[in-house]
Amino acid sequence: MDTLMPVLASLNGLAAGVFLLSAFGLLATRQMQGCVRFFRLQSLALVASIFLIAIGMRVPDLIAVALLDFTIKPLLIPWLLRRYVREELFRRREIDQVLNIPSSLLVALALTITAYFLAVILPPAAGSMGNINVPVGLAGLLLGAFTLAVRREAVPQLIGIFAIENGSLFAGIAIAPRLPLVAEMAFPFDMLIIALVIGILTRITQERVGTTEVGALRSLREGGAE
Amino acid sequence: MTLFVILALPLVAALVSSLPLGRRVAPATTLLAAVGAVLISGRAALTVAAGAQVVGVAGWIELDGLGALILLLVAVVGMTAALFSWGYVAREKDSRHLRRYYSNYNLFVFAMLAVPMLVEPALVWTAVELTTIFGIYLVAFDNTPEAVEAAWKYSILTIMGGAMALLGFIVLFRATRFGDAPFTWRGLVTLAPKVSSGVLESAFLLILVGFGAKAGLVPLHTWLPDAHSQAPSPVCALLSGVKTTVVLYVILRMLPILNASGRIDVDRWAIVVGLISVGIAAFLILQVTDYKRLFAFSTVEHMGIILTAAGLGGAAAHYGAVYQILNHSLTKSFCFFAAGTTMLTVDTRQIADVRGLIRTSPVAGTALLFGGIAIAGAPPLAVFLSEFSILRSGIAGQHYVAIGLLAAFIVVAFFGILHHLNRMTFGQAEPVPGDAAPVKLPLSSVLTLIIAAAPIVILGVYMPPPLHRLLQMAAEGLAR
Amino acid sequence: MARSIGFNLLQVLFVIALAPLVSGVLARLKEVVQSRRGPSIFQPYRDLRKFFNKDEVVSEHASWIFRVTPYVVFVAPIFVTTLIPVLTSYPLFFAFMGDMLGGGFVLALGGFFATLAAVDTANPYGPMGASRTRMVGFLAEPVFMIVFFTVSFIAGSTIPYIVQEHWVTLPEFFAPSHVLLVIAFVMLILAEAGRIPVDNPSGHFELAMIDESKNLEYSGSGMALMKWGGQMKLLVLMCILLNVLVSPWGLAHGQSIGDVLLAAPLVLFKIGLFILVLVVIESSLAKLRLFRVSEFLGAAFVTSVVAMITGLLRF
Repeated sequence: MDTLMPVLASLNGLAAGVFLLSAFGLLATRQMQGCVRFFRLQSLALVASIFLIAIGMRVPDLIAVALLDFTIKPLLIPWLLRRYVREELFRRREIDQVLNIPSSLLVALALTITAYFLAVILPPAAGSMGNINVPVGLAGLLLGAFTLAVRREAVPQLIGIFAIENGSLFAGIAIAPRLPLVAEMAFPFDMLIIALVIGILTRITQERVGTTEVGALRSLREGGAE
Repeated sequence: MTLFVILALPLVAALVSSLPLGRRVAPATTLLAAVGAVLISGRAALTVAAGAQVVGVAGWIELDGLGALILLLVAVVGMTAALFSWGYVAREKDSRHLRRYYSNYNLFVFAMLAVPMLVEPALVWTAVELTTIFGIYLVAFDNTPEAVEAAWKYSILTIMGGAMALLGFIVLFRATRFGDAPFTWRGLVTLAPKVSSGVLESAFLLILVGFGAKAGLVPLHTWLPDAHSQAPSPVCALLSGVKTTVVLYVILRMLPILNASGRIDVDRWAIVVGLISVGIAAFLILQVTDYKRLFAFSTVEHMGIILTAAGLGGAAAHYGAVYQILNHSLTKSFCFFAAGTTMLTVDTRQIADVRGLIRTSPVAGTALLFGGIAIAGAPPLAVFLSEFSILRSGIAGQHYVAIGLLAAFIVVAFFGILHHLNRMTFGQAEPVPGDAAPVKLPLSSVLTLIIAAAPIVILGVYMPPPLHRLLQMAAEGLAR
Repeated sequence: MARSIGFNLLQVLFVIALAPLVSGVLARLKEVVQSRRGPSIFQPYRDLRKFFNKDEVVSEHASWIFRVTPYVVFVAPIFVTTLIPVLTSYPLFFAFMGDMLGGGFVLALGGFFATLAAVDTANPYGPMGASRTRMVGFLAEPVFMIVFFTVSFIAGSTIPYIVQEHWVTLPEFFAPSHVLLVIAFVMLILAEAGRIPVDNPSGHFELAMIDESKNLEYSGSGMALMKWGGQMKLLVLMCILLNVLVSPWGLAHGQSIGDVLLAAPLVLFKIGLFILVLVVIESSLAKLRLFRVSEFLGAAFVTSVVAMITGLLRF
């Protein structure tokens, strides 16, 4: 087991790298489909990290969590999106955003470095192998919030929310790997319901407003209401 | 056991409401379940006030003073809003749409009832998240482009807040590694002195930012006036009256934990964040053009007042804070019922379009004026008493700057609210075009207004001893 | 010492002799994947022989730069070959003459002269391609810097021979910084060697060319040297990637000539595997629009920065 630990830590680090990379991808990809793909990749990295921490720190509960996360995040949620916002995903392929891609990437890099320093405030990981999870998870959280701010369309915004939640969990499993199983199980189900409800809301938006460019919704403003 | 019955009632009602059984079944079941919830939670609250324990599952579902107060408020407002829905939502022709409204309504109430009962923070997070999610459909119920837009802003911002707060709750769990106590609100208070301040501080900040967005604290309040103006009025009453309060309750639960650690000046945070919300909301009230938005901004203001009061510290200020929670929930839900009645009468949300309401519809005009006076904090109504007790306790605690600002903002908001409502209720009514018959208000709306107004008036002059004890226990819950 | 110099020369010979073969295999495989037959893998050798036997035509407006450039382009990769591990895992005679930055500069010198030569003649397509190459180069430069500095930070050295020893252990091999750096470097190779999706090496449409248009004015032996130099540059980049950055697996550890000769097929096998990856990339992607190249390199930049961050966090 002890010889395995450094390898596990390295693989966990790799998952962290992929996690961070896909957070950048979410922000920078031009394609709706690409957004979903990067979300899948990010969720897989999260699942991998949960799994590795479960083995490395001997928390058998986490294996169940990893399995549940695996079925819900990379499989069920994209399936739901495909079901409810089919038009959105396939007819409109390219998405635009408020900032252009190179500058939003630069801002994202700055956010990542900020997260590195902010992570000092958070409690350190429970075991040394999870050290990398805390700053990377925090960076994922910040990048998700930034994605939410620069994207103007329904599905990418929804995925931005999931990215924030992924970031929270990514840091969380390292900080508190022994969270009660009931609570850990509740988190992915919560995301599933969010995907379902917001998927339906997106569809209603498409029907009622005629666009899913939610950034263009401006009728409700102070003094601007008709 | 009682707690499980309270939780089961709305769940059963949600199930029955979703079945196609005729137009009257869903509202009737909902109302029945809501009345049942009020009675049982009232009994549970009495038990708690008498000093006995109400426990569902030890360490997971328990009820203390603060929880019992919130539970009672959710049940009461859930009941009055259900009654108001009866006549208000009946305009909806599509009965499938109607059924979905009632089943979502019951689920929404279920989630809100669960929050004060749960004592395990991670499950509290889940319950709060569920309140947000079940609220989305209700906000979008009118199905106009504006309502959909409001629902979108509401869901994106508040769910984002929830996702951020999640990390805070996980960090909070870390505290259990510092000692041998269960992961509950009470357990965390006993642990707090041993926990490193970094854990508590970062958890609090994440929860404050994340749930602050849900509770409508400035600067993440932007969704609140949109959602609270576009949702159907009974839903607004729930959202403004208890949903925001329930979320704020979770933030307030953090204060005793941080105070118990003895190293973090969390009260200062609460006062600063609270005062910013009060101030910004007070000035935003002055320039609204929509009377439902007016009440929505008033909610932001009151959330700030409660947070400030909780931050002032001391038994008197804590008593003022929980008293304000009670009065705000009751009064604000009444305000939205009044606004809903006005909507039914004049069919517009614009302040500028309404003149001489008291002549066109004496019921709506009186209700709106009464609600405005009550929420603005005029004596001798309930909100005045709680605001006054907060100010007095603050002066006794020598927080002169904070109290000065708070008083000034409350006065600004007072004049803002009354200025707008004055224009609406008095003055010359615009001539009603030709054949338009005066709108006949549904009986249930009038009934709701009377039922909702009663506690506001009564609490202004008389405080029942059990309620007083409950408030004292709730205030102790903030202090520990 | 003589043996060390000898091995060094052997490496140079290896690169000079096999560079056309690698290009030939790559071209052939690509055609096969697209279900065509394709030219023989020895076609680049035949091309070179043909070019050497032809007369060279030089524009009368061209200056000495135009005439010198083919030699610079040909010699630059050879210099770099002496600095990097091609066949042996231990440092050879010239290994400490320059580090990875030095090697990068020498390769860039070849590119610099090729650009000058393209501008030197009055051909309108030359300067166009040259400016595009510079654009790609400018964008690739920061990625190169971050990749090299991160590598040297982690390995504690900028000498390629020392860097490669670092990836031998299993945990280090799977370290996030390592894997991500390799990904970033592969993207760089695609940009720097003018492969799809940045540039199409087999395109014949002058307006769309980036790299190839610089050679338009060359003929005869000058053309042969330019082509050969380009092929060697690709091989050298592959060697840096495979032997220095990915894993030193297959390199000779022993001092005897037999060990070194045995390393040659093993290294060729590694290169073959990488060619397969390259073929998959080239066949599954389309060439990017010119202004999207910046986004491609932006992605490489982000990857390298993520590698740097995760690399720094571990320590």
